[in-house]
Amino acid sequence: MGAKHRRLIGNLLAYGAVILIVALSVLPVLWTFLISIKPDEEVITATLTYLPKRPVWDNYVSIWTRSGFPQLILNSAITTAVTVAICTTAGTLAAYAVARTRFAGRQKILLLYLAVRMFPAVMIVIPLFITLRNVGLLDSRFGLALAYTSFLLPVFIWMMKGFFDAIPPELEEAARIDGASRLTAMVRVILPLVLGGLVATSVFVAIGAWNEYLFALMVTSSSGSRTWPVGLQLMVGEFQLPWGELAAGGMISIAPVVILFAIVQRALVRGLTAGAVKG
Amino acid sequence: MGLGTLSERRGWVWFLLVPSLLLIAAVVLYPTFWGMSLSFREMRLNRPDLGTGFVGFKHYVALWNDPVFWLSLRNTLVWVVGATMGEFLLGLTTALLVDRGLPGFRAASVLILLPWFLPNVVAGHIWALMLDPRLGVINDILVRIGVLDSYFAWFANPDTALGAAMVVEIWHGFPFFALLLLAGLKAVPLELYESAEIDGAGPFARFRHVILPQLQMIIVATVVLRVISLVNAPDIILILTGGGPGRASQVLSLYAFLKVSKEFNFGYGSALAMVLFVGLMGFSYLYVRLSNVLKE
Repeated sequence: MGAKHRRLIGNLLAYGAVILIVALSVLPVLWTFLISIKPDEEVITATLTYLPKRPVWDNYVSIWTRSGFPQLILNSAITTAVTVAICTTAGTLAAYAVARTRFAGRQKILLLYLAVRMFPAVMIVIPLFITLRNVGLLDSRFGLALAYTSFLLPVFIWMMKGFFDAIPPELEEAARIDGASRLTAMVRVILPLVLGGLVATSVFVAIGAWNEYLFALMVTSSSGSRTWPVGLQLMVGEFQLPWGELAAGGMISIAPVVILFAIVQRALVRGLTAGAVKG
Repeated sequence: MGLGTLSERRGWVWFLLVPSLLLIAAVVLYPTFWGMSLSFREMRLNRPDLGTGFVGFKHYVALWNDPVFWLSLRNTLVWVVGATMGEFLLGLTTALLVDRGLPGFRAASVLILLPWFLPNVVAGHIWALMLDPRLGVINDILVRIGVLDSYFAWFANPDTALGAAMVVEIWHGFPFFALLLLAGLKAVPLELYESAEIDGAGPFARFRHVILPQLQMIIVATVVLRVISLVNAPDIILILTGGGPGRASQVLSLYAFLKVSKEFNFGYGSALAMVLFVGLMGFSYLYVRLSNVLKE
């Protein structure tokens, strides 16, 4: 058997394996979508039907009109927006500082941003609960957003640092020679160049905040601040949520994640892997 | 004085750093240190009569004599080792395959990221539906192809609960490895492959002597990050089994979380979290040291 044949067979096997892995990744989500558009009698049957015979949107209507679901989505959206606002403000400044200026203690600061990524969530959530209670931010969307910055801000800074690193260092110098202040050089010259990266990083942080479950379970306790992962989980326990509605709720909740990811995936993958490529 | 003028001052870089440092101090460092001190104190929100006095090593002694602690520790080891190995092997296989760069493989490398971006709650319920003992599609398929005689309650059986949760976790987490290992593979210089070919290296020798050494740093970093998040985050187990049946799938992070959220025993919960923290620090240090030693 020649090398050409071997290569052909190798490629065919690779295609087979990759298709299998993609199917493994995507089919469970597709299956959940199929459940969400099946009427009840097709979900609860003696013999399983794979494709819905009569697709309906009833489940989407009933989960959306179920008490409190829109409120859960709204709470999640506000918490996510606040988290992103905090991270982009504090994080962009910090990432700019560590990526594009040299100062005494820079290595230590970098190490600090890295080390805080390793702190156990369980370790933080216990005293954070008490701290938030003491300052009256327990069970509030702002308090939850603050809790989220504990693990999302360091990630934001590291990803943004990668995007800032990729810009040639001479740009600020050129702007400075033209008489721009350091602030002007940063805001007018450098920031526009990392805009794509800033959007991708913000999306990553937004997805993290939108999806989060454990902190939300601990910190929120009323419908005024409860986020959708906690709310959906509660509905499963309390009302024995029908499968179709559970699946529909899941589909509604992941829609923004999938859409945002699809829009920024190129820059996002670049940002997530920047550290890996440099070694 | 305008902000522009301010930026000409010597220490202006600290103006940029202060917001993030304040936040990290407030939501990471302060809680962590307080959590450490809490593990030496009495604190039960439902028993204010006990006060919040200093109790020394009381919680640690209690923990030593707590059979659930030892069971959870064992489960944590099984859970973390099993899930990390599974995710790593599946991720590495995926990365090596996709790195062949055949038409359509770039799209595939994006599609496989889907599980990773799904919320724990949704990932958990997707699999809970598929593995359901009465109506689950996987049970249906397994019965059809003759692996099972009848539908099986994967999460309700003490022998399979942790393993089934692990399958869900591997599905959820393998894209993380695939993504970063693929990026690492793409960065391997082409000359290395060419010289390996000239030396007549087969695919296995090429993997052993060219690819693995190049990926070493990424493997160490991704494994450390993954172990940390697997040790810390009980979400998937909480959603799928709640630690049950009985305590068959109880892990330390979940035990600590339940001590706090159900029993309001903050002191004991903090002691459990401290064990995790110290264990993780020790693991990260040793693992990074050992893999550097091997490299030299």
